[in-house]
Amino acid sequence: MAELFIIGQLCSAEEFPSKSLFCKWSVHAGNNWKIISGHKEGQTQVDSPYYDSRTWWCHPIDIHFASKGIQGWPKFHVQVYHYDSYGRSEIYGYGFCYVPTTPGTHTVDCHTWRPIGNLRDEFRRFFLGGGAQLKSPDFVYCGTDRYRLHTESLGKVRFRLNVIARNFRHYGVEL
Amino acid sequence: MSGSESTPGGVFLVSVVGQIEKAHFPNYDNMYCKYTFVYGPDWEIVTGIEEGISQIAQKSQDERQQVVWNFPLDVSFKSSNPYGWPQLIISVYGLDTFGNDVVRGYGVCHLPVVNGQSSEEMIMFVPESSSTLQKLTSWLTGKRPEYVDARILARGDGREVTRVRSQGCVWINFNVVFKDFHHYGFENDNNS
Repeated sequence: MAELFIIGQLCSAEEFPSKSLFCKWSVHAGNNWKIISGHKEGQTQVDSPYYDSRTWWCHPIDIHFASKGIQGWPKFHVQVYHYDSYGRSEIYGYGFCYVPTTPGTHTVDCHTWRPIGNLRDEFRRFFLGGGAQLKSPDFVYCGTDRYRLHTESLGKVRFRLNVIARNFRHYGVEL
Repeated sequence: MSGSESTPGGVFLVSVVGQIEKAHFPNYDNMYCKYTFVYGPDWEIVTGIEEGISQIAQKSQDERQQVVWNFPLDVSFKSSNPYGWPQLIISVYGLDTFGNDVVRGYGVCHLPVVNGQSSEEMIMFVPESSSTLQKLTSWLTGKRPEYVDARILARGDGREVTRVRSQGCVWINFNVVFKDFHHYGFENDNNS
């Protein structure tokens, strides 16, 4: 079987309306893919940055996949939450990005969005926090039902990913 | 790469030389750093030192305000599996006004996965007290929160409960040489 190693970090977030953020991430792949070792999901620390304008998570990612076919190439799915001074967390953004198909070192930016509700919901959100959340996270990485959503654009999440492939060439797959 | 004699058991070697160049912490001075490597179960150090501690350096007296350590790194690893790729953890300490050793930042990065020269900008952060009461007691006793074992940073779990504050940056320079990596079918971006 061909093998794929994804080694890197969930580095940082920028351009979000406030800085005290954390992120829940998970990796999804099709039926042809199997995780041999490594975590397939996780949650980062909460950073309140004082050094520069970015929120830094520096969260390690190290996943070993075995693959029987390239359909369902792995992708990361992120949910960014804001952690406020009262200790509440509210959703700030959803996003997904594919693992690059080229072996080597990559910086991957994942742009995020959140669903918005009607005027009353947004009014409520403005004063109380919270806001609309996705009932099922499938919307994030599945394109079929997205047309029903109305969304607000938010900041971006940065990954640094190193991709190592093994034996793909042996099966005639050129990365 | 072809024609090289195969290593028994599919073992490849990764050799890293480099240095912890310098740091920038806007609010602190007189700092030293410690480094350690954390790696997966299939990895082993062949030569080199796993941990080190630098001199205490003062900031440059100019507008750069940099702390230069110029501290050498030289280590070789062997492994049969890229999973658990070695990570470098740096913790920076400094003296506060009462002469106590206080942590000024922790940082983590993977060693380069691609051979050749590269440099890394490592952001440094410190854990923060989770409640106002703990903030008060740590202010009164002068004991700030720190990690019992900084190696938790290299793990993908167990960090979700921590609140941190990023407050500095360390620059590291790496030169990486592989042996037999491509020979065993692994592809990073520079294969030929």
